[in-house]
Amino acid sequence: MLTYITRRILMLIPVLFGVSVFIFIVMRIVPGDLAMTILGNNATPESLHQLREDFGLNLPLYVQYFNWMSGVLTGDFGQSMRTGQEVLPDILSRFKLTFELTLISAFISWIIAIPLGIIAAVKRNTNTDFGVRLISLLGVSVPNFALAIIIILVLSLAFSYSPPIEYVGFFENPLQNLEIMIIPAIVLGSSMAGAVMRMTRSSVLEILRQDFIRTIRAKGARERIVIFNHALRNAMIPILTIIGLQVGTLLGGTVIIEQIFSLPGLGQLVLTAINQRDFIVVQGAVLFIAFVFVFINLLVDVLYSYLDPRIKYK
Amino acid sequence: MSNLLEINNLSIDVKIEKSYYNIVNRLSLSIAKKQKYGIVGESGSGKSLTSVAIMNLLADSLSVSEGQILFEETQELTTLSNKEMMKIRGKDISIIFQEPMTALDPIFTIEYQISEVLKIHFNHSKKEMREMIISILKDVGIPRPESIMKSYPHELSGGMRQRVVIAMALICKPKLLIADEPTTALDVTIQAQILELMNELTEKYDTSILMITHDLGVINETCERVAVMYAGEVVEESSVDSLFSHPKHPYTQGLLKSIHTLGDRSEKLYSIPGNVPTPTQLKKHGCRFASRCPHVMDLCKEETPPYVEVSEDQVSKCWLHTERGEYNEQGQKASVASEEYEKTFSD
Ligand SMILES: Nc1ncnc2c1ncn2[C@@H]1O[C@H](COP(=O)(O)OP(=O)(O)OP(=O)(O)O)[C@@H](O)[C@H]1O
Ligand code: SF4
Ligand SMILES: [Mg+2]
Repeated sequence: MLTYITRRILMLIPVLFGVSVFIFIVMRIVPGDLAMTILGNNATPESLHQLREDFGLNLPLYVQYFNWMSGVLTGDFGQSMRTGQEVLPDILSRFKLTFELTLISAFISWIIAIPLGIIAAVKRNTNTDFGVRLISLLGVSVPNFALAIIIILVLSLAFSYSPPIEYVGFFENPLQNLEIMIIPAIVLGSSMAGAVMRMTRSSVLEILRQDFIRTIRAKGARERIVIFNHALRNAMIPILTIIGLQVGTLLGGTVIIEQIFSLPGLGQLVLTAINQRDFIVVQGAVLFIAFVFVFINLLVDVLYSYLDPRIKYK
Repeated sequence: MSNLLEINNLSIDVKIEKSYYNIVNRLSLSIAKKQKYGIVGESGSGKSLTSVAIMNLLADSLSVSEGQILFEETQELTTLSNKEMMKIRGKDISIIFQEPMTALDPIFTIEYQISEVLKIHFNHSKKEMREMIISILKDVGIPRPESIMKSYPHELSGGMRQRVVIAMALICKPKLLIADEPTTALDVTIQAQILELMNELTEKYDTSILMITHDLGVINETCERVAVMYAGEVVEESSVDSLFSHPKHPYTQGLLKSIHTLGDRSEKLYSIPGNVPTPTQLKKHGCRFASRCPHVMDLCKEETPPYVEVSEDQVSKCWLHTERGEYNEQGQKASVASEEYEKTFSD
């Protein structure tokens, strides 16, 4: 097991290297220019050149990449080209919010999706089942921003709700923080909820059709044991796969959600940095998110072997 | 001797796209305490459905449309509440299903799965359960039970898994053990061992057996009485001795003929021509075997044959045993057909 994990971690290196090269190049081929955005349209060619010189943007690309990478590898993600702030501390402090948002929305979506998926499987082809399937279809197919707008509209008309202006950290005031986070979390989690619901329904159904379920009933087991101890435990394996995949969607979704609900998270940082062509911040943040994503997927793979004894990692 | 299980006129229907088709038709049989009873018939004759109906575990599309299943003369299993039924399942009646490879939950240890049935019905301590599991695993011939019980199903061979399933079925010392083709999925040497094991253990625990198989050889080795099933009906019911020495129903005769030729290589393999009709092909009246019967008469196609007591301990459902069916199409006397059969295999 330990050797497996070590090997998996070693395999992350080429993946993250690929991501870093990719984002480095993308940031340099998107139209728009850092010096121009800073100095405005009326800047003289000399001042533009000077600024580029200062940021090292006139160096050959591989040198720029090498400089950035050697910093990253020693834990120095560089400074923002706009504010001069250290990038890594900024990423970490903003990631706290994004992490909390992702976690809450994942939890909410599981709490709703897994029970509903089970109910739909047990009551297959009834109206309840059709209802659940409709909800999951909506969850998967309605885009986050649309759902956010609908929810904000409904809430503001019915309860005169408005998206919070001032963000309050969880450790400052947990209740107020949750109040701020809950609606963005629900919106963000809707697609994961839909996907998990669908997967729970189909895999519980699939397991309930297996021969061994009949053996358990033949032992005299109650339906509750059949469903929760056996059907759900077995179904958790494919459900976990979909959760692992959806984590990416969730992390990506935070960019939009944080913007809509004006939450100062990592997503917002990335978006602002992209608009300002703040290369160093974008590169650092994207690399960081990629790391989180692959790390969570590694975690999911390790969890598999606990859920399924047939999987043996060597 | 009082009956442990008595099935009276049991009919099972299947619902296919809003219409019902009969599968098992007015099946009756009774199993005495400590008796070894067999059901034999080709694939698709309704053997498994009958056994699942006894456990009251029929799939949603299937339903009992007629008849009773009496357990210990008092409990009617087809109408028992699920709560009452759960007390019987696994404790008084247990079942070994056809496929040992898929009968166990892949993600739990053998110990967990055997202890589960104990937990459902009794209140033993952990230590007691452990001891009971080790002792039953020894009984079913599993070497090193202490380590095997910690393993998962996929780590065991088919024969081992079937032994585990048998252990699980016997650990509560049930009054009736239903074994649905317990050996068909296993290779021949293991088959014999498993059958012998089941014989031994059921004697030890005073358990009755309902042995379900398509193999008359298995019946011959393990059973005292037997019901021959064809297309959802019992066509002949008899002691095993009588069935083998003087089979009366043309279907039974065909089945026996096919195992006799198996032993004798000089002859061509005999098998009954045609196939078991599917539920949707069955007609309401007439003999269900008519399409394949070598002695078929016009009468057979129109009217359902009655059960006739053909010897002291033997009943057969065929027109040939009655006045009306005295002559078949070839103008041959019914009793002659039977004698002719006996002559063929007397040597
Ligand atoms: N759930 C079901 N829905 C519809 N038809 C079914 C169902 N289960 C069984 N049948 C049909 O009922 C008939 C009897 O099936 P059953 O499984 O009892 O046969 P069997 O005698 O056990 O055969 P085998 O030797 O193949 O196990 C078959 O024609 C089968 O197609
Ligand atoms: S009733 Fe007729 S068709 Fe049926 S088994 Fe007897 S002889 Fe054959
Ligand atoms: Mg069967």
